[in-house]
Amino acid sequence: MAESSSLTVERPGLLTTVQDAGRRARALGVPEGGAADPVARRLANALVGNPAGAAGLEVTLGGPTLRFHADALVSLCGAPFEARLDGPFPLWRAVPVRKGQTLSIPGTPGGARAFLAVRGGLHGQEVFGSRSTDLRTGFGGLEGRSLRAGDRLSWFPSAPALPPRAFVSPDLHTPTGPDLTLRVLPTPEATPDLLAVLCGSTFTVSGQADRMGARLTEPVPAPHDPTRVSLPNPPGAVQLPPDGRPILLLSDAGTHGGYPTPLVVARVDLPALGQLRPGDRVKFRPVTVEEAHAALLRQERALRGVEGALRWWYKGV
Amino acid sequence: MSQEGRTTLPEITPLGDAALVVRSPLARELLAELTASPLPGVGEAVPALDVLTVLYDPLVAPPEALTANLAARLAELTGRAGGTGRTLALPVTFDGPDLAWCAERAGLDIPDFIRALCAVPLEVAFLGFTPGFAFLTGLPGELRMPRLDTPRDRVPAGSVALGGPWAGVYPRETPGGWRIVGRTGAVLFDVGREDPVLWRAGDRVTFVEVGGPGG
Repeated sequence: MAESSSLTVERPGLLTTVQDAGRRARALGVPEGGAADPVARRLANALVGNPAGAAGLEVTLGGPTLRFHADALVSLCGAPFEARLDGPFPLWRAVPVRKGQTLSIPGTPGGARAFLAVRGGLHGQEVFGSRSTDLRTGFGGLEGRSLRAGDRLSWFPSAPALPPRAFVSPDLHTPTGPDLTLRVLPTPEATPDLLAVLCGSTFTVSGQADRMGARLTEPVPAPHDPTRVSLPNPPGAVQLPPDGRPILLLSDAGTHGGYPTPLVVARVDLPALGQLRPGDRVKFRPVTVEEAHAALLRQERALRGVEGALRWWYKGV
Repeated sequence: MSQEGRTTLPEITPLGDAALVVRSPLARELLAELTASPLPGVGEAVPALDVLTVLYDPLVAPPEALTANLAARLAELTGRAGGTGRTLALPVTFDGPDLAWCAERAGLDIPDFIRALCAVPLEVAFLGFTPGFAFLTGLPGELRMPRLDTPRDRVPAGSVALGGPWAGVYPRETPGGWRIVGRTGAVLFDVGREDPVLWRAGDRVTFVEVGGPGG
């Protein structure tokens, strides 16, 4: 009669995967993985009283329909998906779900991804300390693949709690397109000419955009260096393959690459990078390391403020 | 590092706002040192050939302080750290689509080419690209093969291949631009194992022929 803490996937959505904060095994060739929008992941988890790195579902463009077999407390943060739970479902809040209810997350008018946290955190295969799904090699999460209709997911038990009435200030929502400016840091591979073209143009995100990277449509003159050796890819690297169409690397990108990397997206804008969808227009704005760190510190202070307040709430109940 | 009292400054350069690139022949030794005794704020250190990319949290470690710390660590290294002491013999069936092309380029017939390749003591320089992929170093000049002009869309898992100064084995099916000379049944990456990755940087590797066109 009483079913365990689980849900059934009625419709899987376009690409729904189990993700958490990712893994640290790059030195073994293993991609980082993890939710492409880490701010959404942290806030969604904080809203339901989870640790920042608890596993949840990353939904992409067209989301899933999920039937709950037990009461749960959930939150959805990220792109402005139009979700429903017997009525409109608010984002950026903790929302109680009753046993038997169905949550549907059909789509979003802008941005690409959102993170659905469930109080307690989702189960999933743990590899190198992370439950994130690695789609390319096929491990982690749910059998290393995206959700299918009929899948059942369960979550760790957690003390029942009253949801906080708080919602997240829109200042902390990750920006979404169709027009985005990403702060970038030039690398020694950016010649003045190349930098002028990259930072003076507007690019369009092509249809080739997945968890590994987002390819831009407009080519720039790519430096030709067949002797360039493979080097480690930092998060947010902007690669230039020989055809000159830049690739912005995302969470599932390979650990090393042989293409020139003239720009790296500032860490503060990695969440925005995770929200790019085909058709979005992107500009690059060069900043200094100091400017990038000051922006990151502002973002981090605001995030920790919210996380701290929510932790206090859950301790109090 | 130091000669007649003068210390050469190691090359440590920023890459974005959360990574530093250390270029030094002591990169692998520095990685071992950072693993044994981590520096605050360092999330991961990722090696390549004579390169270590250090990913750091700028909110914990300012880059100037971290650069100074890394330079100090480098100055203390001896440059004597050897390999892991492990030797792996990898069974290879030499029947790859590029085998004949590679042998001809090396100026050898196929059996001599295979014998030459199996005689090379290779070493895992670093892992990267895809889980379990190892860049194997040690090929003599005549066995180094240019990469394909156009990479293949699908290289089967277990393919043994040569590309530039490297030899390698594809752990799973991927696109790939190296010249395929054979295949191995060795499983390089398996999350079901206690240690999912077969090898580590510093391991010595030799190819052992277990069959091929000649039997």
